[in-house]
Amino acid sequence: MKYIPTIGIECHVQLCTKTKLFSEVDNDARGKEPNSCVSPVDYALPGMLPRLNGEAVKFAVRAGHAMNCAINPKSRFDRKHYFYPDSPKGYQITQFFHPIIGEGFVELPSGTKIRIEHAHLEGDAGKLTHFSNYSLVDLNRVDTPLIEIVSMPDIHSAADARDYAKELWRLMTFAKVTYGDLYNGNMRFDVNVSIAPEGADKLGTRTETKNLNSFRSIERAVEYEIKRQTKLLEAGETIRQETRGWNDATGESTPQRSKEEAKDYRYMPEPDLPPLNLSEEFISAALENFPMMPSDYRKMLGSIVPDATLEVLLDYPKLMEKLSELKENTAALKRISNLFSSVLLAEENFSLLNDELPSKQQLLDLAEMLDKNELSSTGGKEVFIKFFDPEMHFKATREIAKELGVVQENDLGALEAIVDAVLAKPETQKAQEDYKNGEQKVIGFLVGQVMKESHGKANPSAVQEILRKKLA
Amino acid sequence: MEITREDLKHLADLSNFSLPEEEMDSLQNDLDGIVKYISELSELNTDGVEPTYQVFEMDNVWRDDEIKAQDANREELLDLTVEEKENQIKVPKVL
Repeated sequence: MKYIPTIGIECHVQLCTKTKLFSEVDNDARGKEPNSCVSPVDYALPGMLPRLNGEAVKFAVRAGHAMNCAINPKSRFDRKHYFYPDSPKGYQITQFFHPIIGEGFVELPSGTKIRIEHAHLEGDAGKLTHFSNYSLVDLNRVDTPLIEIVSMPDIHSAADARDYAKELWRLMTFAKVTYGDLYNGNMRFDVNVSIAPEGADKLGTRTETKNLNSFRSIERAVEYEIKRQTKLLEAGETIRQETRGWNDATGESTPQRSKEEAKDYRYMPEPDLPPLNLSEEFISAALENFPMMPSDYRKMLGSIVPDATLEVLLDYPKLMEKLSELKENTAALKRISNLFSSVLLAEENFSLLNDELPSKQQLLDLAEMLDKNELSSTGGKEVFIKFFDPEMHFKATREIAKELGVVQENDLGALEAIVDAVLAKPETQKAQEDYKNGEQKVIGFLVGQVMKESHGKANPSAVQEILRKKLA
Repeated sequence: MEITREDLKHLADLSNFSLPEEEMDSLQNDLDGIVKYISELSELNTDGVEPTYQVFEMDNVWRDDEIKAQDANREELLDLTVEEKENQIKVPKVL
Protein backbone atom coordinates (compact mmCIF):
# COMPACT_ATOMS: atom_id res chain seq x y z
CA MET A 1 0.00 0.00 0.00
CA LYS A 2 1.16 3.49 -0.72
CA TYR A 3 1.36 5.83 2.27
CA ILE A 4 1.26 9.63 2.08
CA PRO A 5 3.36 11.40 4.71
CA THR A 6 2.03 14.58 6.31
CA ILE A 7 4.51 16.83 8.08
CA GLY A 8 4.16 19.96 10.17
CA ILE A 9 7.15 21.83 11.57
CA GLU A 10 7.58 24.04 14.61
CA CYS A 11 10.59 26.28 14.57
CA HIS A 12 12.08 28.30 17.44
CA VAL A 13 14.05 31.34 16.30
CA GLN A 14 16.28 33.21 18.77
CA LEU A 15 15.98 36.94 18.12
CA CYS A 16 19.20 38.98 18.05
CA THR A 17 18.02 41.88 20.20
CA LYS A 18 20.60 43.52 22.48
CA THR A 19 18.80 42.55 25.68
CA LYS A 20 16.59 39.68 26.72
CA LEU A 21 12.83 39.60 26.30
CA PHE A 22 12.00 40.46 29.92
CA SER A 23 15.22 41.69 31.54
CA GLU A 24 17.80 44.33 30.67
CA VAL A 25 20.82 42.04 30.45
CA ASP A 26 23.03 41.10 27.51
CA ASN A 27 21.19 38.76 25.15
CA ASP A 28 24.38 37.77 23.31
CA ALA A 29 25.99 35.10 25.46
CA ARG A 30 28.24 33.75 22.70
CA GLY A 31 31.63 32.93 24.15
CA LYS A 32 30.65 34.19 27.60
CA GLU A 33 30.95 32.46 30.96
CA PRO A 34 27.94 30.45 32.25
CA ASN A 35 25.50 32.54 34.27
CA SER A 36 27.25 35.79 33.37
CA CYS A 37 24.30 37.19 31.38
CA VAL A 38 21.66 36.95 34.08
CA SER A 39 19.56 39.20 36.25
CA PRO A 40 17.42 38.74 39.35
CA VAL A 41 14.47 38.55 36.94
CA ASP A 42 16.00 35.54 35.17
CA TYR A 43 16.51 33.93 38.57
CA ALA A 44 12.82 34.58 39.33
CA LEU A 45 13.70 36.02 42.71
CA PRO A 46 10.62 36.97 44.77
CA GLY A 47 9.13 40.29 43.66
CA MET A 48 11.01 40.49 40.37
CA LEU A 49 8.81 41.53 37.48
CA PRO A 50 9.30 41.11 33.73
CA ARG A 51 9.66 44.25 31.59
CA LEU A 52 8.94 43.69 27.91
CA ASN A 53 11.63 44.55 25.35
CA GLY A 54 9.94 46.78 22.72
CA GLU A 55 12.58 45.89 20.15
CA ALA A 56 11.58 42.22 20.34
CA VAL A 57 8.04 43.26 19.42
CA LYS A 58 9.41 45.07 16.34
CA PHE A 59 11.52 42.04 15.44
CA ALA A 60 8.42 39.85 15.65
CA VAL A 61 6.57 42.21 13.29
CA ARG A 62 9.48 41.97 10.84
CA ALA A 63 9.65 38.18 11.12
CA GLY A 64 5.92 37.96 10.45
CA HIS A 65 6.21 40.23 7.44
CA ALA A 66 8.99 38.03 6.02
CA MET A 67 6.57 35.08 6.09
CA ASN A 68 3.71 37.01 4.43
CA CYS A 69 1.82 36.81 7.72
CA ALA A 70 -0.89 39.03 9.07
CA ILE A 71 0.26 40.96 12.14
CA ASN A 72 -2.32 40.80 14.91
CA PRO A 73 -2.53 44.27 16.46
CA LYS A 74 -3.88 42.74 19.66
CA SER A 75 -1.83 40.06 21.36
CA ARG A 76 -0.93 39.17 24.92
CA PHE A 77 1.15 36.87 27.06
CA ASP A 78 0.29 33.73 28.99
CA ARG A 79 2.05 31.58 31.53
CA LYS A 80 2.77 27.97 30.56
CA HIS A 81 3.53 26.07 33.74
CA TYR A 82 5.95 23.20 33.97
CA PHE A 83 8.52 21.98 36.42
CA TYR A 84 12.07 21.65 35.19
CA PRO A 85 15.38 23.15 36.36
CA ASP A 86 15.82 25.05 33.08
CA SER A 87 13.14 27.50 34.26
CA PRO A 88 13.52 29.05 37.73
CA LYS A 89 10.08 30.69 37.38
CA GLY A 90 8.34 27.35 37.02
CA TYR A 91 6.60 28.66 33.90
CA GLN A 92 7.42 30.03 30.48
CA ILE A 93 5.98 33.35 29.37
CA THR A 94 4.52 32.73 25.92
CA GLN A 95 1.56 33.76 23.76
CA PHE A 96 -0.74 30.77 23.76
CA PHE A 97 -4.16 32.30 23.10
CA HIS A 98 -3.43 35.52 21.23
CA PRO A 99 -0.18 35.37 19.23
CA ILE A 100 1.34 38.45 17.61
CA ILE A 101 1.79 36.81 14.18
CA GLY A 102 -1.21 35.40 12.32
CA GLU A 103 -1.62 33.31 9.18
CA GLY A 104 0.76 33.54 6.26
CA PHE A 105 2.86 31.36 4.01
CA VAL A 106 6.40 30.49 3.00
CA GLU A 107 7.06 29.79 -0.66
CA LEU A 108 9.71 27.16 -1.34
CA PRO A 109 12.15 27.53 -4.28
CA SER A 110 10.09 24.83 -6.05
CA GLY A 111 7.02 27.09 -5.87
CA THR A 112 5.23 24.96 -3.23
CA LYS A 113 3.55 27.12 -0.62
CA ILE A 114 3.63 26.04 3.02
CA ARG A 115 1.03 27.86 5.11
CA ILE A 116 1.98 29.32 8.48
CA GLU A 117 -0.65 28.71 11.14
CA HIS A 118 0.70 31.40 13.48
CA ALA A 119 3.89 32.50 15.25
CA HIS A 120 4.29 33.86 18.75
CA LEU A 121 6.75 35.55 21.05
CA GLU A 122 8.10 33.71 24.08
CA GLY A 123 11.13 33.40 26.34
CA ASP A 124 13.73 30.68 25.89
CA ALA A 125 14.66 28.30 28.72
CA GLY A 126 18.05 27.86 30.40
CA LYS A 127 20.60 25.30 29.36
CA LEU A 128 21.09 22.05 31.24
CA THR A 129 24.13 19.83 31.08
CA HIS A 130 23.47 16.36 32.43
CA PHE A 131 25.96 14.25 34.34
CA SER A 132 25.57 10.80 35.82
CA ASN A 133 23.72 11.84 38.99
CA TYR A 134 23.30 15.59 38.77
CA SER A 135 22.76 18.38 36.23
CA LEU A 136 24.32 21.83 35.86
CA VAL A 137 22.19 24.85 35.00
CA ASP A 138 23.32 27.86 32.97
CA LEU A 139 20.71 30.63 32.91
CA ASN A 140 22.35 32.77 30.20
CA ARG A 141 19.72 31.66 27.71
CA VAL A 142 16.74 32.21 30.03
CA ASP A 143 14.30 34.60 28.34
CA THR A 144 16.29 35.12 25.19
CA PRO A 145 13.45 36.28 22.91
CA LEU A 146 12.12 33.54 20.65
CA ILE A 147 9.50 33.43 18.04
CA GLU A 148 7.96 30.03 17.59
CA ILE A 149 6.73 29.51 14.04
CA VAL A 150 4.06 26.86 13.59
CA SER A 151 3.44 25.57 10.07
CA MET A 152 0.27 23.94 8.82
CA PRO A 153 0.67 20.23 7.96
CA ASP A 154 1.31 21.14 4.31
CA ILE A 155 4.60 19.29 3.86
CA HIS A 156 4.57 15.84 2.26
CA SER A 157 8.18 14.79 1.76
CA ALA A 158 11.52 14.83 3.56
CA ALA A 159 12.98 17.05 0.82
CA ASP A 160 10.20 19.62 1.25
CA ALA A 161 10.72 19.53 5.02
CA ARG A 162 14.39 20.37 4.46
CA ASP A 163 13.57 23.07 1.90
CA TYR A 164 11.01 24.64 4.20
CA ALA A 165 13.48 24.78 7.10
CA LYS A 166 16.13 26.25 4.85
CA GLU A 167 13.77 28.87 3.44
CA LEU A 168 12.73 29.83 6.97
CA TRP A 169 16.41 30.23 7.86
CA ARG A 170 16.88 32.49 4.86
CA LEU A 171 13.79 34.56 5.63
CA MET A 172 14.80 35.08 9.25
CA THR A 173 18.44 35.88 8.51
CA PHE A 174 17.63 38.13 5.53
CA ALA A 175 15.11 39.96 7.73
CA LYS A 176 17.98 40.31 10.26
CA VAL A 177 15.94 39.15 13.21
CA THR A 178 18.39 36.37 14.14
CA TYR A 179 22.09 35.59 13.83
CA GLY A 180 20.91 32.34 12.25
CA ASP A 181 23.78 30.34 13.74
CA LEU A 182 22.32 26.84 13.56
CA TYR A 183 25.26 25.15 15.24
CA ASN A 184 24.65 27.25 18.34
CA GLY A 185 20.92 26.61 18.34
CA ASN A 186 19.74 29.99 17.04
CA MET A 187 17.07 28.06 15.12
CA ARG A 188 15.71 24.73 16.38
CA PHE A 189 13.13 22.59 14.64
CA ASP A 190 10.55 20.06 15.86
CA VAL A 191 9.04 17.90 13.13
CA ASN A 192 5.61 16.26 13.41
CA VAL A 193 5.27 13.30 11.08
CA SER A 194 2.33 11.01 10.33
CA ILE A 195 1.51 8.74 7.42
CA ALA A 196 -1.83 7.63 6.04
CA PRO A 197 -2.84 5.32 3.17
CA GLU A 198 -3.27 7.18 -0.11
CA GLY A 199 -6.81 8.51 -0.39
CA ALA A 200 -7.56 8.18 3.34
CA ASP A 201 -9.70 11.00 4.73
CA LYS A 202 -8.05 10.92 8.16
CA LEU A 203 -4.44 11.64 9.07
CA GLY A 204 -2.47 8.96 10.87
CA THR A 205 -1.12 9.16 14.41
CA ARG A 206 1.77 11.58 14.54
CA THR A 207 5.07 11.59 16.34
CA GLU A 208 7.19 14.61 17.15
CA THR A 209 10.97 14.51 16.69
CA LYS A 210 12.38 17.40 18.71
CA ASN A 211 15.31 19.77 18.68
CA LEU A 212 16.79 19.30 15.22
CA ASN A 213 19.29 21.99 14.33
CA SER A 214 20.49 21.27 10.81
CA PHE A 215 18.69 21.01 7.48
CA ARG A 216 20.30 17.64 6.85
CA SER A 217 19.17 16.22 10.20
CA ILE A 218 15.61 17.41 9.47
CA GLU A 219 15.62 15.60 6.14
CA ARG A 220 17.12 12.45 7.65
CA ALA A 221 14.83 12.45 10.69
CA VAL A 222 11.73 12.75 8.48
CA GLU A 223 12.97 10.01 6.14
CA TYR A 224 13.66 7.79 9.11
CA GLU A 225 10.24 8.42 10.63
CA ILE A 226 8.37 7.75 7.37
CA LYS A 227 10.23 4.43 6.99
CA ARG A 228 9.71 3.47 10.62
CA GLN A 229 5.98 4.20 10.55
CA THR A 230 5.49 2.47 7.19
CA LYS A 231 7.17 -0.65 8.51
CA LEU A 232 4.97 -0.67 11.63
CA LEU A 233 1.75 -0.22 9.67
CA GLU A 234 2.72 -2.88 7.16
CA ALA A 235 3.33 -5.28 10.02
CA GLY A 236 -0.20 -4.56 11.25
CA GLU A 237 0.99 -2.61 14.28
CA THR A 238 -0.12 0.83 15.44
CA ILE A 239 1.83 4.07 15.77
CA ARG A 240 2.22 5.45 19.27
CA GLN A 241 1.85 9.19 19.68
CA GLU A 242 5.15 10.16 21.29
CA THR A 243 8.06 12.54 21.39
CA ARG A 244 11.28 11.23 19.88
CA GLY A 245 14.89 12.32 20.09
CA TRP A 246 17.15 12.27 17.05
CA ASN A 247 20.69 10.93 17.19
CA ASP A 248 22.68 12.36 14.31
CA ALA A 249 25.56 9.93 14.78
CA THR A 250 23.47 6.76 14.52
CA GLY A 251 20.89 8.24 12.13
CA GLU A 252 18.08 6.95 14.33
CA SER A 253 15.49 8.40 16.67
CA THR A 254 14.34 6.89 19.95
CA PRO A 255 11.29 7.59 22.13
CA GLN A 256 12.10 10.14 24.81
CA ARG A 257 11.34 9.33 28.39
CA SER A 258 8.57 11.61 29.43
CA LYS A 259 6.29 11.72 32.43
CA GLU A 260 2.75 10.51 32.03
CA GLU A 261 0.32 13.40 31.78
CA ALA A 262 3.22 15.79 31.36
CA LYS A 263 1.19 17.98 29.01
CA ASP A 264 -0.91 19.84 31.52
CA TYR A 265 0.49 23.33 31.36
CA ARG A 266 -2.32 25.16 33.21
CA TYR A 267 -2.13 28.19 30.94
CA MET A 268 -3.25 31.46 32.47
CA PRO A 269 -2.99 35.11 31.37
CA GLU A 270 0.34 36.63 32.43
CA PRO A 271 -0.74 39.25 34.99
CA ASP A 272 2.60 41.10 34.99
CA LEU A 273 2.52 42.11 31.32
CA PRO A 274 -0.19 44.34 29.88
CA PRO A 275 -1.45 43.28 26.43
CA LEU A 276 -0.11 44.65 23.15
CA ASN A 277 -2.34 46.84 21.03
CA LEU A 278 -0.18 47.83 18.08
CA SER A 279 -1.13 50.81 15.98
CA GLU A 280 -0.78 50.86 12.20
CA GLU A 281 1.93 53.48 12.65
CA PHE A 282 3.92 51.22 14.96
CA ILE A 283 3.70 48.33 12.50
CA SER A 284 4.69 50.39 9.46
CA ALA A 285 7.56 52.01 11.40
CA ALA A 286 8.81 48.54 12.37
CA LEU A 287 8.81 47.60 8.67
CA GLU A 288 10.69 50.65 7.46
CA ASN A 289 13.77 49.87 5.34
CA PHE A 290 12.74 46.24 5.19
CA PRO A 291 15.60 44.35 3.51
CA MET A 292 15.31 42.40 0.27
CA MET A 293 13.93 38.90 0.76
CA PRO A 294 14.93 35.71 -1.13
CA SER A 295 11.99 36.19 -3.51
CA ASP A 296 13.26 39.72 -4.36
CA TYR A 297 16.71 38.30 -5.08
CA ARG A 298 15.23 35.58 -7.24
CA LYS A 299 13.56 38.31 -9.28
CA MET A 300 16.75 40.37 -9.43
CA LEU A 301 19.03 37.50 -10.49
CA GLY A 302 16.63 34.95 -11.96
CA SER A 303 17.26 35.92 -15.58
CA ILE A 304 21.04 36.27 -15.30
CA VAL A 305 22.16 33.46 -13.00
CA PRO A 306 21.14 29.80 -13.39
CA ASP A 307 18.59 28.69 -10.77
CA ALA A 308 20.89 26.13 -9.17
CA THR A 309 23.65 28.70 -8.72
CA LEU A 310 21.21 31.22 -7.33
CA GLU A 311 19.95 28.77 -4.72
CA VAL A 312 23.52 28.27 -3.53
CA LEU A 313 24.24 32.00 -3.41
CA LEU A 314 21.04 32.52 -1.39
CA ASP A 315 22.65 30.71 1.52
CA TYR A 316 24.85 33.78 2.05
CA PRO A 317 22.74 36.77 3.14
CA LYS A 318 25.71 39.18 3.32
CA LEU A 319 26.79 38.21 -0.18
CA MET A 320 23.29 38.75 -1.55
CA GLU A 321 23.15 42.18 0.03
CA LYS A 322 26.47 43.00 -1.63
CA LEU A 323 25.20 41.83 -5.01
CA SER A 324 22.13 44.01 -4.62
CA GLU A 325 24.45 47.05 -4.57
CA LEU A 326 25.24 46.23 -8.21
CA LYS A 327 21.66 45.88 -9.36
CA GLU A 328 21.72 49.03 -11.51
CA ASN A 329 24.45 47.50 -13.67
CA THR A 330 23.16 44.22 -15.08
CA ALA A 331 26.38 43.35 -16.93
CA ALA A 332 28.48 43.79 -13.79
CA LEU A 333 25.90 41.97 -11.69
CA LYS A 334 26.07 38.99 -14.03
CA ARG A 335 29.87 38.85 -14.11
CA ILE A 336 30.25 39.27 -10.36
CA SER A 337 27.51 36.77 -9.48
CA ASN A 338 29.19 34.22 -11.70
CA LEU A 339 32.58 34.93 -10.16
CA PHE A 340 31.21 34.43 -6.66
CA SER A 341 29.52 31.20 -7.61
CA SER A 342 32.35 29.71 -9.68
CA VAL A 343 35.33 30.78 -7.61
CA LEU A 344 33.90 30.50 -4.14
CA LEU A 345 31.41 27.71 -4.49
CA ALA A 346 32.93 25.43 -7.12
CA GLU A 347 36.12 25.39 -5.09
CA GLU A 348 34.10 25.13 -1.89
CA ASN A 349 35.81 28.15 -0.53
CA PHE A 350 32.80 28.91 1.66
CA SER A 351 34.84 30.29 4.52
CA LEU A 352 35.87 33.28 2.40
CA LEU A 353 32.28 34.43 2.53
CA ASN A 354 32.50 34.98 6.24
CA ASP A 355 35.24 37.54 5.74
CA GLU A 356 34.70 41.10 4.77
CA LEU A 357 33.30 41.24 1.26
CA PRO A 358 34.88 43.36 -1.53
CA SER A 359 33.63 46.91 -1.90
CA LYS A 360 31.12 47.94 -4.54
CA GLN A 361 33.84 49.96 -6.34
CA GLN A 362 36.27 47.03 -6.42
CA LEU A 363 33.58 44.83 -7.94
CA LEU A 364 32.46 47.40 -10.51
CA ASP A 365 36.09 48.01 -11.56
CA LEU A 366 36.66 44.29 -11.91
CA ALA A 367 33.57 43.92 -14.10
CA GLU A 368 34.72 46.82 -16.24
CA MET A 369 38.26 45.46 -16.71
CA LEU A 370 36.78 42.11 -17.74
CA ASP A 371 34.44 43.88 -20.14
CA LYS A 372 37.30 45.74 -21.77
CA ASN A 373 39.39 42.59 -22.03
CA GLU A 374 41.98 44.15 -19.78
CA LEU A 375 41.67 40.95 -17.78
CA SER A 376 41.27 37.44 -19.12
CA SER A 377 38.69 35.33 -17.28
CA THR A 378 41.57 33.55 -15.51
CA GLY A 379 43.17 36.87 -14.59
CA GLY A 380 39.80 38.11 -13.35
CA LYS A 381 39.51 35.14 -11.04
CA GLU A 382 43.02 35.71 -9.68
CA VAL A 383 42.22 39.32 -8.89
CA PHE A 384 38.86 38.36 -7.37
CA ILE A 385 40.46 35.88 -4.98
CA LYS A 386 42.89 38.58 -3.82
CA PHE A 387 39.88 40.65 -2.70
CA PHE A 388 39.73 38.22 0.23
CA ASP A 389 43.46 38.29 0.97
CA PRO A 390 44.07 40.21 4.21
CA GLU A 391 47.20 41.73 2.64
CA MET A 392 45.46 42.88 -0.52
CA HIS A 393 41.73 43.34 0.08
CA PHE A 394 41.93 47.08 0.71
CA LYS A 395 43.69 47.80 -2.60
CA ALA A 396 42.01 49.05 -5.76
CA THR A 397 41.19 46.44 -8.40
CA ARG A 398 43.63 47.83 -10.97
CA GLU A 399 46.42 47.96 -8.41
CA ILE A 400 45.88 44.30 -7.50
CA ALA A 401 45.79 43.33 -11.18
CA LYS A 402 49.06 45.16 -11.84
CA GLU A 403 50.75 43.56 -8.84
CA LEU A 404 49.67 40.16 -10.08
CA GLY A 405 50.88 41.08 -13.57
CA VAL A 406 47.63 39.97 -15.17
CA VAL A 407 46.60 43.17 -16.97
CA GLN A 408 46.25 42.21 -20.62
CA GLU A 409 47.93 44.16 -23.40
CA ASN A 410 45.17 45.32 -25.71
CA ASP A 411 47.14 48.03 -27.43
CA LEU A 412 47.07 46.71 -31.00
CA GLY A 413 50.25 48.56 -32.00
CA ALA A 414 52.21 47.10 -29.10
CA LEU A 415 50.75 43.64 -29.74
CA GLU A 416 51.66 43.78 -33.42
CA ALA A 417 55.27 44.58 -32.53
CA ILE A 418 55.44 41.53 -30.31
CA VAL A 419 53.81 39.35 -32.97
CA ASP A 420 56.32 40.58 -35.55
CA ALA A 421 59.21 39.80 -33.23
CA VAL A 422 57.89 36.26 -32.72
CA LEU A 423 57.32 35.71 -36.43
CA ALA A 424 60.92 36.71 -37.09
CA LYS A 425 62.26 34.02 -34.76
CA PRO A 426 63.78 30.96 -36.48
CA GLU A 427 61.91 28.51 -34.19
CA THR A 428 58.53 29.74 -35.49
CA GLN A 429 59.31 29.40 -39.18
CA LYS A 430 58.16 25.79 -39.52
CA ALA A 431 54.86 26.51 -37.79
CA GLN A 432 54.24 29.44 -40.12
CA GLU A 433 54.84 27.14 -43.13
CA ASP A 434 52.50 24.50 -41.71
CA TYR A 435 49.78 27.07 -41.10
CA LYS A 436 50.02 28.37 -44.63
CA ASN A 437 49.75 24.75 -45.83
CA GLY A 438 46.40 24.45 -44.09
CA GLU A 439 47.35 23.17 -40.64
CA GLN A 440 45.02 25.45 -38.70
CA LYS A 441 45.82 24.11 -35.25
CA VAL A 442 49.45 25.31 -35.19
CA ILE A 443 47.98 28.77 -34.55
CA GLY A 444 47.79 27.67 -30.92
CA PHE A 445 51.56 27.18 -30.82
CA LEU A 446 52.14 30.62 -32.32
CA VAL A 447 49.72 32.30 -29.90
CA GLY A 448 51.58 30.55 -27.08
CA GLN A 449 54.89 31.95 -28.30
CA VAL A 450 53.46 35.47 -28.37
CA MET A 451 51.99 35.07 -24.90
CA LYS A 452 55.39 33.93 -23.66
CA GLU A 453 57.10 36.87 -25.30
CA SER A 454 54.55 39.24 -23.64
CA HIS A 455 55.01 37.55 -20.25
CA GLY A 456 51.39 36.49 -20.34
CA LYS A 457 50.01 39.97 -20.60
CA ALA A 458 48.75 39.86 -24.18
CA ASN A 459 45.08 39.28 -24.82
CA PRO A 460 45.15 35.85 -26.53
CA SER A 461 42.11 36.40 -28.73
CA ALA A 462 43.52 39.68 -29.99
CA VAL A 463 46.85 37.95 -30.66
CA GLN A 464 45.16 35.21 -32.61
CA GLU A 465 43.34 37.74 -34.75
CA ILE A 466 46.57 39.60 -35.58
CA LEU A 467 48.37 36.33 -36.37
CA ARG A 468 45.64 35.18 -38.75
CA LYS A 469 45.77 38.46 -40.59
CA LYS A 470 49.55 38.42 -40.90
CA LEU A 471 49.70 34.81 -42.09
CA ALA A 472 46.78 35.08 -44.48
CA MET B 1 -16.45 21.26 40.90
CA GLU B 2 -15.00 19.29 43.76
CA ILE B 3 -11.28 18.86 44.35
CA THR B 4 -10.49 15.17 44.71
CA ARG B 5 -7.46 13.47 46.18
CA GLU B 6 -6.46 12.54 42.64
CA ASP B 7 -6.53 16.20 41.60
CA LEU B 8 -4.32 17.03 44.55
CA LYS B 9 -1.82 14.30 43.71
CA HIS B 10 -1.82 15.36 40.08
CA LEU B 11 -1.07 18.99 40.99
CA ALA B 12 1.69 17.98 43.39
CA ASP B 13 3.13 15.75 40.68
CA LEU B 14 3.15 18.56 38.12
CA SER B 15 5.09 20.79 40.51
CA ASN B 16 7.32 17.96 41.70
CA PHE B 17 6.16 18.41 45.33
CA SER B 18 6.16 15.56 47.73
CA LEU B 19 2.85 15.50 49.56
CA PRO B 20 2.78 13.78 52.96
CA GLU B 21 -0.34 11.74 53.56
CA GLU B 22 -1.16 13.63 56.79
CA GLU B 23 -1.37 16.96 54.93
CA MET B 24 -3.69 15.69 52.22
CA ASP B 25 -6.98 16.11 54.09
CA SER B 26 -6.44 19.69 55.16
CA LEU B 27 -5.02 20.73 51.77
CA GLN B 28 -7.91 19.11 49.95
CA ASN B 29 -10.28 20.95 52.23
CA ASP B 30 -8.55 24.34 51.75
CA LEU B 31 -8.28 24.02 47.98
CA ASP B 32 -11.88 22.90 47.70
CA GLY B 33 -12.96 25.96 49.69
CA ILE B 34 -10.95 28.30 47.47
CA VAL B 35 -12.35 26.85 44.27
CA LYS B 36 -15.92 27.00 45.62
CA TYR B 37 -15.43 30.62 46.66
CA ILE B 38 -14.13 31.60 43.22
CA SER B 39 -16.90 29.56 41.58
CA GLU B 40 -19.47 32.02 42.92
CA LEU B 41 -18.45 34.19 39.99
CA SER B 42 -20.03 31.61 37.68
CA GLU B 43 -23.45 32.78 38.86
CA LEU B 44 -23.00 35.99 36.90
CA ASN B 45 -24.24 36.08 33.34
CA THR B 46 -21.23 37.00 31.23
CA ASP B 47 -22.79 36.46 27.80
CA GLY B 48 -21.41 39.05 25.41
CA VAL B 49 -18.87 40.37 27.93
CA GLU B 50 -15.29 40.58 26.66
CA PRO B 51 -12.90 38.53 28.83
CA THR B 52 -10.79 40.63 31.19
CA TYR B 53 -7.14 39.73 31.15
CA GLN B 54 -5.96 42.54 33.37
CA VAL B 55 -7.59 45.29 35.38
CA PHE B 56 -5.37 48.32 34.78
CA GLU B 57 -6.48 49.05 31.21
CA MET B 58 -2.90 49.60 30.16
CA ASP B 59 -1.37 48.36 26.95
CA ASN B 60 1.91 48.58 25.03
CA VAL B 61 4.06 48.85 28.12
CA TRP B 62 7.61 48.17 27.02
CA ARG B 63 11.17 49.39 27.52
CA ASP B 64 14.11 50.30 25.30
CA ASP B 65 16.52 47.62 24.20
CA GLU B 66 19.48 48.83 26.28
CA ILE B 67 21.70 46.77 28.56
CA LYS B 68 21.63 47.98 32.17
CA ALA B 69 23.80 47.09 35.13
CA GLN B 70 21.98 44.73 37.47
CA ASP B 71 21.52 45.03 41.23
CA ALA B 72 23.09 41.64 41.78
CA ASN B 73 26.10 40.17 40.03
CA ARG B 74 26.80 36.60 39.06
CA GLU B 75 28.51 35.67 42.33
CA GLU B 76 25.75 37.13 44.47
CA LEU B 77 23.11 35.30 42.47
CA LEU B 78 25.00 32.02 42.55
CA ASP B 79 25.39 32.43 46.32
CA LEU B 80 21.60 32.16 46.58
CA THR B 81 21.61 28.62 45.21
CA VAL B 82 21.89 25.55 47.38
CA GLU B 83 24.90 24.23 45.52
CA GLU B 84 27.06 25.53 42.69
CA LYS B 85 29.78 23.98 40.55
CA GLU B 86 31.96 25.72 37.97
CA ASN B 87 29.75 28.83 38.05
CA GLN B 88 26.68 26.75 37.33
CA ILE B 89 23.76 25.80 39.53
CA LYS B 90 24.01 22.18 40.59
CA VAL B 91 20.67 20.36 40.77
CA PRO B 92 19.59 16.76 41.28
CA LYS B 93 18.98 14.88 38.07
CA VAL B 94 15.39 15.37 36.93
CA LEU B 95 13.74 12.91 34.49
